[in-house]
Amino acid sequence: MKADYQNYTLLGYHHIPNVNKIDVFESAGGYASMKNTLKNIGKQQIRDEVKNSGLRGRGGAGFSTGIKWGFFPLESNGQKRYLICNADESEPGTFKDRYLLEKNPHILIEGMVIAAYALNTDRGYIYIRGEFYHEAKVIDAAIDEAYAKGYLGKNILGIEGFNFDLVVHRGAGAYICGEETGLISSLEGKKGQPKLKPPFPAIKGYRGYPSMVNNVETLAAVPWIMQFGAAAYKKWGTEKSAGTKLFSISGDVNKPGVIEVPLGIPLKKIIDDYCGGVRNGNKLKAVIPGGSSAPVLTAQQCETVTMDYEAVAAAGSMLGSGAIIVLDETRNMGEVLKWTLEFYHHESCGQCTPCREGTGWLEKILKRKNIAELKRPGSLSDIDLLDQVAGHMRGVTICALADAAAMPAQGMIKAFRNELSEYISLQQKS
Amino acid sequence: MSDQKLVKLKWNNTEISAPENSNLLKAALDNGIEVAHYCYHPGLSVAGVCRMCNVEQEGVPRPYLSCNATVKEGMNVTNTTPKIKEMVEWALQMHLVNHPLDCPICDQAGECGLQDYYMKYGGYDSSMVDQKVHKIKVKDIGRNVMLDAERCILCSRCVRFTSEVTGTHELGILNRGDHAEITVNENLNNDYAQNLVDICPVGALTSTDFRFKQRVWYLQNVETTCIGCETGCSVRVDYNKTGAYRVKPVYDSTVNSYWMCDHGRNTYKHVSSVDRVLEPLKNKDGMFLETTVQDVLGTLKNKKLKFIFNTQMTNEELSGYLKFAGKSAQDFTFYQLQNGSGPAFDGILKRSNQNININGLTDVLTKANLAQTLQAGHLDEFIKNLKSDDVVVVVVPEFNLKEDHFSTLLQKIKNVKTKVGLTTNNSFDCLTKFDYLLPAPTFLEKEGTLFNYNKTARKLHKGKMFIKEDYNLSSYLQLLG
Repeated sequence: MKADYQNYTLLGYHHIPNVNKIDVFESAGGYASMKNTLKNIGKQQIRDEVKNSGLRGRGGAGFSTGIKWGFFPLESNGQKRYLICNADESEPGTFKDRYLLEKNPHILIEGMVIAAYALNTDRGYIYIRGEFYHEAKVIDAAIDEAYAKGYLGKNILGIEGFNFDLVVHRGAGAYICGEETGLISSLEGKKGQPKLKPPFPAIKGYRGYPSMVNNVETLAAVPWIMQFGAAAYKKWGTEKSAGTKLFSISGDVNKPGVIEVPLGIPLKKIIDDYCGGVRNGNKLKAVIPGGSSAPVLTAQQCETVTMDYEAVAAAGSMLGSGAIIVLDETRNMGEVLKWTLEFYHHESCGQCTPCREGTGWLEKILKRKNIAELKRPGSLSDIDLLDQVAGHMRGVTICALADAAAMPAQGMIKAFRNELSEYISLQQKS
Repeated sequence: MSDQKLVKLKWNNTEISAPENSNLLKAALDNGIEVAHYCYHPGLSVAGVCRMCNVEQEGVPRPYLSCNATVKEGMNVTNTTPKIKEMVEWALQMHLVNHPLDCPICDQAGECGLQDYYMKYGGYDSSMVDQKVHKIKVKDIGRNVMLDAERCILCSRCVRFTSEVTGTHELGILNRGDHAEITVNENLNNDYAQNLVDICPVGALTSTDFRFKQRVWYLQNVETTCIGCETGCSVRVDYNKTGAYRVKPVYDSTVNSYWMCDHGRNTYKHVSSVDRVLEPLKNKDGMFLETTVQDVLGTLKNKKLKFIFNTQMTNEELSGYLKFAGKSAQDFTFYQLQNGSGPAFDGILKRSNQNININGLTDVLTKANLAQTLQAGHLDEFIKNLKSDDVVVVVVPEFNLKEDHFSTLLQKIKNVKTKVGLTTNNSFDCLTKFDYLLPAPTFLEKEGTLFNYNKTARKLHKGKMFIKEDYNLSSYLQLLG
């Protein structure tokens, strides 16, 4: 598909070969937004523009970026303040940030410089997932180029007093370091464990200083918004879910990959038009619409659901990071849930009791064998117990990892109860 | 915290008052309201991981953790709603998912947070029939502390203690998820390690000094003062009819907060040890044979008695003596203990000066114009003036006594014909130099007052007598007439 920047806020440059080189990027129109914004637009105006654009956090929570920036104290009082880019993309099924970082790292740097200017910070970190070794090298090279051009460093673009240093920090491969306070703990050199909130990172974050943590895709959308305006951005999407979004589609489709489409697009259209339909002409069975932590949607729900935050939530799931995992009729939902629960059991940081013990217990219930004689008479069936345990893991922990394990379990039970019962009883006989 | 303004709030419809912006959970606990909690400890930072202390507040949509909230004027919180009860029950159930439930062989049984809360908030039939996670059950982590990682509920109190109170950072949590366990960077190496046993809400950290000796429900306790050094921490001594078993700190905002040092935990040991002097003893060729008080005192009648006291004496004991006999500075003097090891003050609680009541004695003696008896040099002068047919009564310190130092004192008075020791224990060889040993009460067996390092009055309280009620200095003086 032919792309041009006007119609794509994020992937507009991706068709250009070697766009990761700063000269190529600039000649295609990159950094123009940054130069214009820094020279001509006031800090407050930038923040207003981002707020008016309706941009929402693209990491998964979908919280308004403008409002989040509003929590950030703009007067420093001699305190250090940090802008942190969350590039620890580790939700299973998600690979959109990786695509951005790998092909077009400068769009992120451009976005971060604008954000740093608007938020009065002089120090930035890109916390990148440890497994993104190649991407870390690409973004490191891009930062060097940006320093050489004077887009990073001291007195950027000759603006007296606007300094911004950007450092790439590689994680060590923990899922939970994608949660913003877990990320901050890891960045501080501690064990990657989320911190108790309040205080929120915008008030007390990295090393106890105000810190703004934004997703790669969120920051990368900023240059476009500043170039074409909030109104232009709002033309896409729905009223509450404005703009375009990257979707990473994997699973049983003919053409998996990353696409950028306006929010509110029908899921059916993504699968059929962009991804060439379900593989081998198989029947669609289910879709996990927002990364592995999102409850599953049945084929029937997929017929009508549109991909915006509200519609997916109304269908009982969540848009999350925009990772669409397509499952066709050959898939066993018990197996799908088993892999999901194994993942969350493995990744629970072990801090809060309901998550630490619950994630492991969920996995054990699903994999139960030879326990019939141990059960008390009149106790719940395994599937009801699974539902009950998952239900009591929701909303009771510091971060959302417990929810992330509980939601797919409960969603699967709701949508595929019979199949799951059959799976558990087969397991127990085997 | 000088600008603490007291505000009123409602907790479970009871009006309580607490300092504004102070910890909400602590406000409840201070006012006697029960809130289940494991990870919160008022002497440590907030972790918020056990998820037990949820409350609902009027006007706030979702329940929240009271340990991470602050007191505000007029707030109305409750933790007795069905919703909160269910949350607590499930948080408890989660704590027990991988807990080994080995209460019959666990030393914590009877004072275990899991047992207590199960009886109060749990009471469910467990649905956990799956294989539990197994971890190391016996690991000596140093300083008399034993770790059982399976019982651990990972509340992280111990980790926070070593990083916040002692600053020694020996402990950490290794691994993730339900395989997480407490580990040691190096074995415990601080003088406060036994506090970990106290703050551990379950049986994960137990004391090798106490474990398997007594079931806690067979113990009584008395709150008294530690005699380990001149800090004078508030402590609780646990004992029963067979003996004293352990010493634990009691919260005291003015002296020791929630903690005490490991040295002070040894103060119970001489109370019921095998070499306790329970009856008067008479020295016969180096062997002590049991005798009667009348026999000992009979031989002392009409003799000139000279006393060498020690600085562990209470104010009341000294006053009693002064009233009866001590009218002159020639009649008595004091033996001062050597300083313990370590710095004068270690920055937390422990002090090297072990003359625990020197301030109290100074106070009493100054009022009687006899303060010179405490001065350095008085002891030597006193000994110089002793005549060989005098009777010297030495009150032997009950704790912290160093034999070398003490035997030089006995060496100096060897020319005196009759030497009587008033002692709790007969644990040193040098005590054979005495002709008679009279039983004396330990700190657990008397009421009294000590003045600690900053002249604050600290009280000793009587727990249980392991010797006869009238085996003490003033009774002996009374019998002598």
